[in-house]
Amino acid sequence: MTTAIVTSELVKAFGRVRALNGLQLSVKTGEVHGFLGPNGAGKSTTIRVLLGLLRADSGRAEVLGADPWREAVALHRRIAYVPGDVELWPNLTGGEAIDLLGRLRGGLDKARRDELIERFDLDPTKKGRTYSKGNRQKVAIVAALASDAELLLLDEPTAGLDPLMEVVFQDVIDQLKAQGRTVLLSSHILAQVEKLADRISIIRQGEIVQTGTLAEMRQLTRTTIEALTRQPVTGMERLPGIHDLEAGDGPVRFAVDGEHLEEAVRALSQFGVRALTSHPPTLEELMLRHYGDELAAAGEPAGDVR
Amino acid sequence: MTTTLTAEAPASGAGASATRPGDALAGTGALVRFILRRDRIKLPAWLLGMALLLSMFLNGVAELTKTEEQRQDLLRIMEGATGAIFGPGYGRDDITTERYVVGVYGLFFFVLAALMSLLLVARHTRAEEQNGRAELVRSAVVGRNAHLTAALVVAAGANVALALLLGGVMAANGYGGADGLLFGASVGAVGLVFAGVTALTVQVTEYSRAATAMAGTVLGAAWAVRAAGDMIEDYGSPLSWFSPLAWSNQTRPYVDGRWWPLLLSLGLAAVTATAGYALSGRRDVGAGLVAARAGRTDAAPWLRSPLTAAFRLQRTGLIGWTVALTASGFLFGGLGEQVADPANMSEDRIDMFGGSVDTLLDGYLGVITMFTAVLAGIMVVLGVQSARTEETKGRAEPVLATATSRWAWFGGYLTVLALGLVAMLLIVGLATGIAAAVAESDGSYVWDLTAAHLAHAPGILVMLGLAALLFGVLPRAIGVTWAVLGYSLFVGFFGEIMDLPGWARNLSPVEHAGQPPLDDVSWPATVTLLLIAAALAAAGLVAFRRRDLETT
Ligand SMILES: Nc1ncnc2c1ncn2[C@@H]1O[C@H](COP(=O)(O)OP(=O)(O)O)[C@@H](O)[C@H]1O
Ligand SMILES: [Mg+2]
Repeated sequence: MTTAIVTSELVKAFGRVRALNGLQLSVKTGEVHGFLGPNGAGKSTTIRVLLGLLRADSGRAEVLGADPWREAVALHRRIAYVPGDVELWPNLTGGEAIDLLGRLRGGLDKARRDELIERFDLDPTKKGRTYSKGNRQKVAIVAALASDAELLLLDEPTAGLDPLMEVVFQDVIDQLKAQGRTVLLSSHILAQVEKLADRISIIRQGEIVQTGTLAEMRQLTRTTIEALTRQPVTGMERLPGIHDLEAGDGPVRFAVDGEHLEEAVRALSQFGVRALTSHPPTLEELMLRHYGDELAAAGEPAGDVR
Repeated sequence: MTTTLTAEAPASGAGASATRPGDALAGTGALVRFILRRDRIKLPAWLLGMALLLSMFLNGVAELTKTEEQRQDLLRIMEGATGAIFGPGYGRDDITTERYVVGVYGLFFFVLAALMSLLLVARHTRAEEQNGRAELVRSAVVGRNAHLTAALVVAAGANVALALLLGGVMAANGYGGADGLLFGASVGAVGLVFAGVTALTVQVTEYSRAATAMAGTVLGAAWAVRAAGDMIEDYGSPLSWFSPLAWSNQTRPYVDGRWWPLLLSLGLAAVTATAGYALSGRRDVGAGLVAARAGRTDAAPWLRSPLTAAFRLQRTGLIGWTVALTASGFLFGGLGEQVADPANMSEDRIDMFGGSVDTLLDGYLGVITMFTAVLAGIMVVLGVQSARTEETKGRAEPVLATATSRWAWFGGYLTVLALGLVAMLLIVGLATGIAAAVAESDGSYVWDLTAAHLAHAPGILVMLGLAALLFGVLPRAIGVTWAVLGYSLFVGFFGEIMDLPGWARNLSPVEHAGQPPLDDVSWPATVTLLLIAAALAAAGLVAFRRRDLETT
């Protein structure tokens, strides 16, 4: 089997809100798949359908070769899940919650559990109601990662973590990847998944609007460059793929299409570069590009996006 | 923004080593207004609700004090051990509507005023600290004691308003001005005491709920001390006077009203509030005096299945209900002889207790048993609602994402509730039976009352089934079960007296068990009820398996 998750034409409506609108998602076995989209795009809904917690109105979903709604329990032995909003039982400690969830999945690796608790710097003796958001999240992460699940569905797992813990998290996910496990990692911030994800799917209003490797996507987008040079920069506007150029007395700024990046940097170096910063495209910019296409297709002025 | 605030700050200037006295209260006025704004619905609802309740009691009781026979009935509730549950019983030798309302129903108003005050103070002090909002507010120009002071000011104002309002209701119904105000003030005084007590308990723990639970325990203890004291001696013994509730009873409105006992209430309110301030000055924002206790690192080995998980989460509630109902069963079981004395009993009450003078005691015990069963029904419905809370709060989601089926998860809840119900009825039945056996010197009551309590289990299981069905089919409507429960209680108490038609009585699941121990257990009815309960629960489980998990 080469695909861990396939969905086709998935539709899920809550009353008048169409949370999923013909979603086509495909996640290959053994990859870390970034699942990106703004708040309310339908990430959590997708994951809940994949877990059989919600039933799709129409369309098909297949997880590890099975129908998640009909074979939920059997599937769940092979899946670990971190919810987007982790709620713990007020009068159970974090340690108890981890054990309970692990045992209900069919057992957990005690040594690995203790190691993860240590690495995430979690105090397992505190009662659920006393944990901060970040610590509640850690409890769910430890419970999920201490299992030997083949597939991990992680819904914005790092949203409440501090940068230090995010590094630990990335490290642990890297280990899992090396072991050949499949991870679906959702986020609304590109930076949180770009270090980990082999491929990315971008969801907007219940539809996947782009799928591919980050490099492929970057090809299609622009990098913003800001540079301080010894001599005033001239003639950049004649190069292909340059946009939004600001070249005055101060630093020079422009955006450049991925495919023309090399030429732009070469041209810039002739003016004696003293300082250079480049910003890879953010999720917003990746998304904006899509909006731009849509607007252009609709025959409206696409503005400076195009 | 920040600079404006610092500029306005009265005395955080350089060199001011300690805060000036006034600074600790800075911002109190604004916080008072803020509290009033946040509670603009809640507070009037409490006050008007209590005023309405008093009006209802006055009008209802007026119907019950018309004839000498009726007054004899009421006397039974106001004297002896039963009377001591409600109060010392002033004015019972010549019962009037206002004396009865103040002397018996007064307890409800004391408890309500105490709850209103303790919830209010906890909500605006500890709860604010617990969720971090107090930190935000206190970083502005708000003094260290401002939160507590503002909450106490509002609580005091609410209780004064309550006193005036209740006095007004009394007067409006034509029950004397000064004594009405005295009753209102007695109720308000209880509120003030518990505002003060809560000002103290919120300092002790980090959790608002623990603080309200502590203050609630003080309330329970105050009631127990007063009730025990009043049982020892007519019109109260020295022991009674250790309870703040007694002080409010001892004002004796409509008998020979006196105001001075309320000085004790004011004194206690002041002392507890002062202690609260003292403790508050010795701790950090958000901290408690007692550090939160650490719990277990690992889960107990038995905590490994949906069933044991449901038990673990329901355990505290099950134990609490069992203890409370056992205590009340013991109390009511022992009171039988006194309450079921046929001398001077009205026809209505004889009807309620089974209709025959010869079996009055069994009839009384039957009513008590039915009442206990309905209370057990409350526990069962609350249990299903807590499963629903698990679902909507998102705590069921990670569990159902493990290898736990919907059947196992919800079935675990239902099993724990059903077994818990049976175990509870068994224990409460034993306790009631032992108390009755001792009071009557007749050992057979132990078995009879245990069996009687268990005979009600199938009816309550039907309630559980109904709640389970709603959980699966229309979870928003689980509350409908409350109506069925309330209706069953109504039928149990008044069905006979009001001559309700058979079909109307049969709508109550509790009715089909009859009135054990007065009636024998009917096996066909038992089996039918159990089958209905099982069918309802199964339908609920199937429906839950088919619907979406709802998280908010
Ligand atoms: N249970 C629900 N009831 C009604 N609307 C819902 C429910 N769950 C999600 N939605 C709506 O569906 C859309 C997608 O939500 P969600 O999947 O939570 O987005 P994301 O996780 O990407 O932020 C949102 O518009 C949200 O308001
Ligand atoms: Mg989400």
